[in-house]
Amino acid sequence: MDIPERLARHPFCADMTPAVRERLAACAQEVQFEENAYLLRQNAPAKTFYLIEAGQVEIKIAGAATGHAPLETLSAGEAVGWSWFLPPHRWHFDAIARVPTRALALDADCLRSAMDADSAVGYAITRGLLAVLAQRLQATRMQLSDLYG
Amino acid sequence: MDSLEDLDAMSVPDDVLMPTPWRIVSRRDETSDGAVFTWQLQPEAGEVPPFRPGQFNMLYVFGVGEVPISISGDPEESGRVMHTLRAVGRVTRAMQTLREGEVVGMRGPFGTAWPLEAAFGRDLVLVAGGIGLAPLRPVVCYAMRHREAFRRVFLLIGCRDPASELFRDDVIAWSRRPHLVVEVIVDRGGPAWRGHVGVVTKLVQRGGFDPTDAVAFLCGPEAMMRYAVLALQKRGVSEDRIHISMERNMQCAVGTCGHCQWGRYILCRDGPVLRFDRVTDLFDVREL
Repeated sequence: MDIPERLARHPFCADMTPAVRERLAACAQEVQFEENAYLLRQNAPAKTFYLIEAGQVEIKIAGAATGHAPLETLSAGEAVGWSWFLPPHRWHFDAIARVPTRALALDADCLRSAMDADSAVGYAITRGLLAVLAQRLQATRMQLSDLYG
Repeated sequence: MDSLEDLDAMSVPDDVLMPTPWRIVSRRDETSDGAVFTWQLQPEAGEVPPFRPGQFNMLYVFGVGEVPISISGDPEESGRVMHTLRAVGRVTRAMQTLREGEVVGMRGPFGTAWPLEAAFGRDLVLVAGGIGLAPLRPVVCYAMRHREAFRRVFLLIGCRDPASELFRDDVIAWSRRPHLVVEVIVDRGGPAWRGHVGVVTKLVQRGGFDPTDAVAFLCGPEAMMRYAVLALQKRGVSEDRIHISMERNMQCAVGTCGHCQWGRYILCRDGPVLRFDRVTDLFDVREL
Protein backbone atom coordinates (compact mmCIF):
# COMPACT_ATOMS: atom_id res chain seq x y z
CA MET A 1 0.00 0.00 0.00
CA ASP A 2 1.44 3.39 -0.93
CA ILE A 3 1.66 6.37 1.38
CA PRO A 4 -1.48 8.23 0.12
CA GLU A 5 -3.54 5.07 0.64
CA ARG A 6 -2.12 4.61 4.11
CA LEU A 7 -2.88 8.23 4.93
CA ALA A 8 -6.45 7.72 3.72
CA ARG A 9 -6.82 4.85 6.18
CA HIS A 10 -5.56 6.87 9.12
CA PRO A 11 -8.34 8.66 11.06
CA PHE A 12 -6.36 11.91 11.13
CA CYS A 13 -6.56 12.14 7.33
CA ALA A 14 -9.82 10.30 6.71
CA ASP A 15 -11.83 13.44 5.95
CA MET A 16 -9.17 15.10 3.80
CA THR A 17 -9.47 15.33 0.05
CA PRO A 18 -7.19 13.15 -2.11
CA ALA A 19 -5.38 16.31 -3.23
CA VAL A 20 -4.56 17.29 0.36
CA ARG A 21 -3.48 13.75 1.18
CA GLU A 22 -1.19 13.75 -1.86
CA ARG A 23 0.42 16.90 -0.53
CA LEU A 24 0.88 15.30 2.89
CA ALA A 25 2.26 12.17 1.31
CA ALA A 26 5.08 14.23 -0.15
CA CYS A 27 6.17 14.99 3.43
CA ALA A 28 5.70 11.45 4.78
CA GLN A 29 7.73 8.32 5.19
CA GLU A 30 7.33 5.13 7.17
CA VAL A 31 9.27 4.76 10.39
CA GLN A 32 9.59 1.86 12.81
CA PHE A 33 10.45 2.05 16.48
CA GLU A 34 11.71 -0.71 18.69
CA GLU A 35 10.27 -1.14 22.16
CA ASN A 36 11.43 1.70 24.44
CA ALA A 37 12.68 3.81 21.53
CA TYR A 38 12.00 7.56 21.79
CA LEU A 39 9.79 9.23 19.22
CA LEU A 40 10.06 12.60 20.96
CA ARG A 41 12.31 13.94 23.67
CA GLN A 42 11.20 16.69 25.99
CA ASN A 43 12.60 20.11 24.92
CA ALA A 44 14.20 18.76 21.75
CA PRO A 45 13.35 20.50 18.45
CA ALA A 46 9.95 19.40 17.16
CA LYS A 47 10.69 18.30 13.64
CA THR A 48 8.22 15.48 12.98
CA PHE A 49 4.54 14.73 13.19
CA TYR A 50 3.71 11.05 13.67
CA LEU A 51 0.62 9.13 12.69
CA ILE A 52 0.64 5.76 14.45
CA GLU A 53 -0.31 2.81 12.28
CA ALA A 54 0.53 -0.02 14.66
CA GLY A 55 1.88 -0.38 18.17
CA GLN A 56 1.58 1.81 21.22
CA VAL A 57 3.28 4.98 22.38
CA GLU A 58 3.26 6.52 25.82
CA ILE A 59 3.51 10.22 26.48
CA LYS A 60 5.64 10.84 29.54
CA ILE A 61 6.72 13.80 31.56
CA ALA A 62 10.22 13.77 32.93
CA GLY A 63 10.47 15.28 36.38
CA ALA A 64 11.73 14.41 39.81
CA ALA A 65 8.31 14.42 41.46
CA THR A 66 6.58 12.32 38.84
CA GLY A 67 9.30 9.76 38.23
CA HIS A 68 8.79 9.75 34.45
CA ALA A 69 5.16 8.78 34.81
CA PRO A 70 3.03 8.08 31.75
CA LEU A 71 0.40 10.74 31.09
CA GLU A 72 -1.36 8.99 28.26
CA THR A 73 -0.99 6.05 25.93
CA LEU A 74 -1.62 6.37 22.22
CA SER A 75 -2.39 3.56 19.82
CA ALA A 76 -2.95 2.85 16.13
CA GLY A 77 -5.06 5.54 14.52
CA GLU A 78 -3.81 8.31 16.78
CA ALA A 79 -1.42 11.21 16.20
CA VAL A 80 1.69 12.04 18.20
CA GLY A 81 3.03 15.55 18.67
CA TRP A 82 1.71 18.98 17.81
CA SER A 83 4.55 21.17 19.06
CA TRP A 84 5.93 21.28 15.51
CA PHE A 85 2.91 23.41 14.62
CA LEU A 86 3.45 26.28 17.05
CA PRO A 87 6.58 28.18 18.10
CA PRO A 88 8.97 27.57 19.73
CA HIS A 89 8.74 24.17 17.97
CA ARG A 90 10.07 22.16 20.87
CA TRP A 91 8.56 19.02 22.37
CA HIS A 92 6.88 19.45 25.72
CA PHE A 93 6.96 15.77 26.66
CA ASP A 94 8.70 12.51 25.89
CA ALA A 95 7.03 9.96 23.66
CA ILE A 96 8.29 6.39 23.89
CA ALA A 97 7.29 3.28 21.98
CA ARG A 98 5.95 0.85 24.54
CA VAL A 99 5.95 -1.98 22.01
CA PRO A 100 7.39 -2.19 18.48
CA THR A 101 5.58 0.60 16.69
CA ARG A 102 5.07 1.59 13.08
CA ALA A 103 4.13 5.13 12.08
CA LEU A 104 4.04 7.56 9.23
CA ALA A 105 6.48 10.38 9.99
CA LEU A 106 5.67 13.73 8.41
CA ASP A 107 8.45 16.27 8.19
CA ALA A 108 7.48 19.46 10.03
CA ASP A 109 9.28 21.91 7.70
CA CYS A 110 7.63 20.26 4.72
CA LEU A 111 4.21 20.37 6.40
CA ARG A 112 4.49 24.02 7.40
CA SER A 113 5.57 24.97 3.88
CA ALA A 114 2.63 23.07 2.40
CA MET A 115 0.24 24.75 4.82
CA ASP A 116 1.61 28.20 3.99
CA ALA A 117 1.50 27.58 0.26
CA ASP A 118 -2.01 26.14 0.05
CA SER A 119 -4.76 27.30 2.38
CA ALA A 120 -6.77 24.12 1.71
CA VAL A 121 -3.89 22.06 3.04
CA GLY A 122 -3.44 24.47 5.95
CA TYR A 123 -7.11 24.30 6.87
CA ALA A 124 -7.30 20.52 6.63
CA ILE A 125 -4.29 19.98 8.86
CA THR A 126 -5.33 22.67 11.33
CA ARG A 127 -8.79 21.13 11.59
CA GLY A 128 -7.31 17.70 12.16
CA LEU A 129 -4.94 19.02 14.81
CA LEU A 130 -7.74 20.93 16.51
CA ALA A 131 -9.78 17.73 16.77
CA VAL A 132 -6.79 15.96 18.34
CA LEU A 133 -6.19 18.84 20.73
CA ALA A 134 -9.85 19.03 21.73
CA GLN A 135 -9.93 15.31 22.43
CA ARG A 136 -6.75 15.51 24.51
CA LEU A 137 -8.03 18.55 26.42
CA GLN A 138 -11.33 16.84 27.19
CA ALA A 139 -9.51 13.69 28.27
CA THR A 140 -7.20 15.71 30.50
CA ARG A 141 -10.14 17.45 32.14
CA MET A 142 -11.81 14.12 32.77
CA GLN A 143 -8.62 12.71 34.26
CA LEU A 144 -8.26 15.78 36.50
CA SER A 145 -11.87 15.58 37.64
CA ASP A 146 -11.30 12.14 39.19
CA LEU A 147 -14.32 10.66 37.41
CA TYR A 148 -14.38 7.42 39.32
CA GLY A 149 -14.83 9.04 42.73
CA MET B 1 -58.45 5.43 47.04
CA ASP B 2 -61.90 4.14 47.86
CA SER B 3 -61.62 1.15 50.05
CA LEU B 4 -59.50 -0.91 52.35
CA GLU B 5 -59.19 -3.39 49.48
CA ASP B 6 -57.39 -0.73 47.47
CA LEU B 7 -55.05 -0.15 50.35
CA ASP B 8 -54.40 -3.87 50.58
CA ALA B 9 -53.61 -3.98 46.89
CA MET B 10 -50.96 -1.29 47.36
CA SER B 11 -49.45 -2.73 50.48
CA VAL B 12 -46.13 -4.52 50.48
CA PRO B 13 -45.85 -7.98 52.01
CA ASP B 14 -44.01 -7.87 55.32
CA ASP B 15 -41.49 -10.48 54.26
CA VAL B 16 -40.20 -8.21 51.50
CA LEU B 17 -39.29 -5.59 54.08
CA MET B 18 -37.92 -8.04 56.65
CA PRO B 19 -34.21 -8.78 56.42
CA THR B 20 -33.08 -12.35 56.93
CA PRO B 21 -29.74 -13.27 58.51
CA TRP B 22 -26.81 -14.09 56.24
CA ARG B 23 -23.34 -15.06 57.37
CA ILE B 24 -20.17 -13.63 55.87
CA VAL B 25 -18.32 -16.79 54.83
CA SER B 26 -15.45 -15.00 53.13
CA ARG B 27 -14.11 -11.49 52.92
CA ARG B 28 -11.48 -10.29 50.47
CA ASP B 29 -9.93 -6.85 50.09
CA GLU B 30 -10.14 -5.63 46.52
CA THR B 31 -7.89 -2.63 47.07
CA SER B 32 -4.75 -2.36 49.14
CA ASP B 33 -6.33 0.14 51.54
CA GLY B 34 -9.25 -2.22 52.19
CA ALA B 35 -11.78 0.44 51.21
CA VAL B 36 -13.25 -1.87 48.59
CA PHE B 37 -13.94 -5.41 49.68
CA THR B 38 -15.91 -8.44 48.57
CA TRP B 39 -18.12 -10.64 50.70
CA GLN B 40 -19.45 -14.10 50.03
CA LEU B 41 -22.63 -14.60 52.01
CA GLN B 42 -24.64 -17.66 52.91
CA PRO B 43 -28.15 -17.68 54.37
CA GLU B 44 -28.55 -18.83 57.94
CA ALA B 45 -31.67 -20.64 56.80
CA GLY B 46 -33.34 -21.45 53.52
CA GLU B 47 -32.24 -21.23 49.94
CA VAL B 48 -30.33 -18.54 48.10
CA PRO B 49 -32.87 -16.77 45.93
CA PRO B 50 -32.01 -16.58 42.24
CA PHE B 51 -31.00 -13.21 40.84
CA ARG B 52 -30.44 -11.66 37.44
CA PRO B 53 -27.27 -9.70 36.57
CA GLY B 54 -27.72 -6.05 37.49
CA GLN B 55 -30.04 -6.57 40.45
CA PHE B 56 -29.23 -5.51 44.00
CA ASN B 57 -29.85 -6.58 47.57
CA MET B 58 -30.47 -4.47 50.63
CA LEU B 59 -27.75 -5.26 53.15
CA TYR B 60 -28.31 -4.43 56.78
CA VAL B 61 -25.82 -3.97 59.60
CA PHE B 62 -27.80 -4.55 62.75
CA GLY B 63 -28.21 -1.37 64.71
CA VAL B 64 -26.53 0.78 62.07
CA GLY B 65 -28.54 0.80 58.88
CA GLU B 66 -29.30 -0.63 55.49
CA VAL B 67 -27.83 0.07 52.06
CA PRO B 68 -28.49 -1.13 48.50
CA ILE B 69 -25.58 -3.10 47.09
CA SER B 70 -25.39 -4.64 43.64
CA ILE B 71 -24.79 -8.35 43.37
CA SER B 72 -21.35 -9.01 41.89
CA GLY B 73 -21.35 -12.83 41.78
CA ASP B 74 -22.02 -15.45 39.17
CA PRO B 75 -25.79 -15.78 38.66
CA GLU B 76 -25.42 -19.51 38.03
CA GLU B 77 -23.36 -20.24 41.12
CA SER B 78 -25.59 -21.62 43.82
CA GLY B 79 -25.37 -21.50 47.57
CA ARG B 80 -23.78 -18.09 47.97
CA VAL B 81 -24.27 -14.46 47.13
CA MET B 82 -21.35 -12.16 46.35
CA HIS B 83 -21.29 -8.44 47.07
CA THR B 84 -18.51 -5.94 46.47
CA LEU B 85 -18.69 -2.84 48.63
CA ARG B 86 -16.87 0.42 49.00
CA ALA B 87 -16.66 1.99 52.42
CA VAL B 88 -17.94 5.51 51.84
CA GLY B 89 -20.70 6.14 54.37
CA ARG B 90 -21.77 5.24 57.88
CA VAL B 91 -23.23 1.84 57.01
CA THR B 92 -20.57 0.71 54.56
CA ARG B 93 -17.84 1.81 56.99
CA ALA B 94 -19.48 -0.35 59.62
CA MET B 95 -19.54 -3.18 57.09
CA GLN B 96 -15.83 -2.68 56.50
CA THR B 97 -15.17 -3.63 60.14
CA LEU B 98 -17.11 -6.91 59.95
CA ARG B 99 -15.14 -10.12 59.64
CA GLU B 100 -15.78 -13.61 58.36
CA GLY B 101 -18.32 -15.42 60.49
CA GLU B 102 -20.31 -12.34 61.39
CA VAL B 103 -23.93 -11.99 60.38
CA VAL B 104 -25.70 -9.24 58.45
CA GLY B 105 -29.28 -8.81 57.32
CA MET B 106 -30.31 -9.08 53.72
CA ARG B 107 -33.42 -8.74 51.62
CA GLY B 108 -33.76 -8.98 47.91
CA PRO B 109 -32.96 -9.29 45.11
CA PHE B 110 -34.58 -6.15 43.76
CA GLY B 111 -34.67 -4.02 40.65
CA THR B 112 -34.30 -4.44 36.93
CA ALA B 113 -31.58 -6.48 35.29
CA TRP B 114 -29.20 -5.98 32.40
CA PRO B 115 -31.15 -7.04 29.28
CA LEU B 116 -28.82 -9.83 28.20
CA GLU B 117 -31.26 -11.03 25.60
CA ALA B 118 -31.00 -7.69 23.76
CA ALA B 119 -27.35 -8.51 23.09
CA PHE B 120 -27.76 -12.13 22.01
CA GLY B 121 -25.99 -12.65 18.69
CA ARG B 122 -24.47 -9.19 18.80
CA ASP B 123 -21.35 -7.52 20.10
CA LEU B 124 -21.76 -6.79 23.80
CA VAL B 125 -19.82 -3.79 25.07
CA LEU B 126 -19.43 -3.45 28.84
CA VAL B 127 -18.08 -0.11 30.04
CA ALA B 128 -17.19 -0.02 33.73
CA GLY B 129 -15.84 2.83 35.78
CA GLY B 130 -14.39 2.27 39.24
CA ILE B 131 -16.64 0.14 41.41
CA GLY B 132 -19.11 0.09 38.51
CA LEU B 133 -17.39 -3.10 37.47
CA ALA B 134 -19.13 -4.92 40.34
CA PRO B 135 -22.68 -4.85 38.88
CA LEU B 136 -21.28 -5.84 35.49
CA ARG B 137 -19.28 -8.77 36.83
CA PRO B 138 -22.33 -11.11 36.75
CA VAL B 139 -22.70 -10.29 33.04
CA VAL B 140 -19.11 -11.30 32.43
CA CYS B 141 -19.69 -14.50 34.40
CA TYR B 142 -22.71 -15.22 32.22
CA ALA B 143 -20.71 -14.52 29.07
CA MET B 144 -17.99 -16.87 30.25
CA ARG B 145 -20.52 -19.66 30.68
CA HIS B 146 -22.44 -18.93 27.49
CA ARG B 147 -19.86 -17.81 24.99
CA GLU B 148 -22.17 -18.71 22.10
CA ALA B 149 -24.76 -16.19 23.29
CA PHE B 150 -22.88 -13.15 22.04
CA ARG B 151 -20.82 -12.52 18.94
CA ARG B 152 -18.02 -10.90 20.91
CA VAL B 153 -17.78 -9.34 24.36
CA PHE B 154 -15.75 -6.21 25.04
CA LEU B 155 -15.05 -5.33 28.64
CA LEU B 156 -13.69 -1.78 28.90
CA ILE B 157 -12.61 -0.85 32.40
CA GLY B 158 -11.58 2.56 33.65
CA CYS B 159 -10.17 3.24 37.07
CA ARG B 160 -8.25 5.91 38.88
CA ASP B 161 -4.92 4.11 39.19
CA PRO B 162 -3.54 0.57 39.15
CA ALA B 163 -4.11 0.18 42.91
CA SER B 164 -7.85 0.73 42.48
CA GLU B 165 -8.33 -1.93 39.82
CA LEU B 166 -10.98 -4.38 41.03
CA PHE B 167 -11.15 -8.17 40.57
CA ARG B 168 -7.56 -8.19 39.33
CA ASP B 169 -7.26 -11.98 39.18
CA ASP B 170 -10.58 -12.25 37.37
CA VAL B 171 -9.59 -9.58 34.88
CA ILE B 172 -6.37 -11.44 34.08
CA ALA B 173 -8.29 -14.70 33.64
CA TRP B 174 -10.97 -13.04 31.50
CA SER B 175 -8.38 -11.40 29.27
CA ARG B 176 -7.08 -14.86 28.35
CA ARG B 177 -10.42 -15.92 26.91
CA PRO B 178 -10.48 -15.58 23.12
CA HIS B 179 -14.05 -14.36 22.80
CA LEU B 180 -13.61 -11.72 25.47
CA VAL B 181 -11.67 -8.51 24.77
CA VAL B 182 -10.60 -6.93 28.05
CA GLU B 183 -9.00 -3.49 28.18
CA VAL B 184 -8.09 -1.58 31.33
CA ILE B 185 -7.21 2.09 31.36
CA VAL B 186 -6.14 4.20 34.32
CA ASP B 187 -6.16 7.94 34.88
CA ARG B 188 -2.77 7.83 36.49
CA GLY B 189 -0.36 4.99 35.90
CA GLY B 190 2.84 4.95 37.88
CA PRO B 191 6.20 4.29 36.28
CA ALA B 192 5.60 0.54 36.68
CA TRP B 193 2.21 0.50 34.94
CA ARG B 194 2.33 -1.14 31.51
CA GLY B 195 -1.32 -0.78 30.52
CA HIS B 196 -3.29 2.05 28.94
CA VAL B 197 -3.28 5.54 30.46
CA GLY B 198 -6.17 7.90 29.79
CA VAL B 199 -9.93 7.91 30.16
CA VAL B 200 -12.29 5.03 29.56
CA THR B 201 -13.96 6.86 26.66
CA LYS B 202 -10.78 6.32 24.72
CA LEU B 203 -11.32 2.58 24.89
CA VAL B 204 -14.79 3.14 23.48
CA GLN B 205 -13.41 5.27 20.66
CA ARG B 206 -10.97 2.66 19.49
CA GLY B 207 -12.81 -0.50 20.55
CA GLY B 208 -13.02 -3.17 17.86
CA PHE B 209 -16.78 -3.73 18.18
CA ASP B 210 -19.29 -3.23 15.39
CA PRO B 211 -21.16 -0.06 16.42
CA THR B 212 -24.06 -0.82 14.09
CA ASP B 213 -24.77 -4.10 15.84
CA ALA B 214 -23.53 -3.64 19.38
CA VAL B 215 -25.37 -3.38 22.67
CA ALA B 216 -23.67 -1.48 25.49
CA PHE B 217 -24.07 -1.77 29.25
CA LEU B 218 -22.56 1.08 31.27
CA CYS B 219 -21.97 1.29 34.98
CA GLY B 220 -19.99 3.84 36.92
CA PRO B 221 -20.23 7.39 38.18
CA GLU B 222 -22.78 9.42 36.24
CA ALA B 223 -20.20 11.80 34.79
CA MET B 224 -18.26 8.84 33.43
CA MET B 225 -21.42 7.33 31.94
CA ARG B 226 -22.32 10.64 30.30
CA TYR B 227 -18.96 10.80 28.53
CA ALA B 228 -19.08 7.11 27.66
CA VAL B 229 -22.53 7.57 26.09
CA LEU B 230 -21.14 10.44 24.00
CA ALA B 231 -18.26 8.26 22.85
CA LEU B 232 -20.64 5.41 21.98
CA GLN B 233 -22.90 7.77 20.07
CA LYS B 234 -19.92 9.14 18.19
CA ARG B 235 -19.07 5.58 17.18
CA GLY B 236 -22.63 5.07 15.95
CA VAL B 237 -24.23 3.07 18.77
CA SER B 238 -27.86 4.21 18.98
CA GLU B 239 -29.38 5.29 22.29
CA ASP B 240 -31.84 2.40 22.35
CA ARG B 241 -28.91 -0.03 22.46
CA ILE B 242 -27.25 1.67 25.43
CA HIS B 243 -28.23 0.66 28.95
CA ILE B 244 -27.07 2.33 32.14
CA SER B 245 -27.25 1.49 35.83
CA MET B 246 -28.37 4.38 38.01
CA GLU B 247 -27.92 4.84 41.73
CA ARG B 248 -29.99 6.88 44.14
CA ASN B 249 -30.97 6.72 47.79
CA MET B 250 -32.84 3.41 47.72
CA GLN B 251 -34.49 2.66 51.03
CA CYS B 252 -37.61 0.51 50.80
CA ALA B 253 -36.40 -1.17 47.56
CA VAL B 254 -39.99 -1.95 46.57
CA GLY B 255 -41.09 1.35 45.06
CA THR B 256 -43.18 2.71 47.89
CA CYS B 257 -41.11 5.19 49.90
CA GLY B 258 -40.05 7.40 47.00
CA HIS B 259 -36.56 8.19 48.28
CA CYS B 260 -34.96 7.01 45.06
CA GLN B 261 -37.26 8.89 42.73
CA TRP B 262 -35.48 10.13 39.61
CA GLY B 263 -37.90 12.12 37.53
CA ARG B 264 -40.69 9.76 36.55
CA TYR B 265 -38.78 6.71 37.73
CA ILE B 266 -38.55 5.04 41.11
CA LEU B 267 -35.12 3.58 40.68
CA CYS B 268 -35.39 0.67 43.12
CA ARG B 269 -38.35 -0.61 41.12
CA ASP B 270 -37.95 0.80 37.60
CA GLY B 271 -34.14 0.64 37.75
CA PRO B 272 -31.33 0.47 38.48
CA VAL B 273 -30.85 -0.66 34.86
CA LEU B 274 -32.53 1.65 32.38
CA ARG B 275 -32.41 2.01 28.62
CA PHE B 276 -30.68 5.26 27.79
CA ASP B 277 -33.16 6.55 25.21
CA ARG B 278 -35.81 6.48 27.96
CA VAL B 279 -33.82 8.71 30.29
CA THR B 280 -32.00 11.14 27.99
CA ASP B 281 -34.17 14.02 29.16
CA LEU B 282 -33.35 13.28 32.80
CA PHE B 283 -29.70 12.50 32.50
CA ASP B 284 -28.36 16.02 32.61
CA VAL B 285 -30.93 17.58 34.93
CA ARG B 286 -28.79 18.52 37.88
CA GLU B 287 -31.46 18.89 40.55
CA LEU B 288 -32.82 15.36 40.10
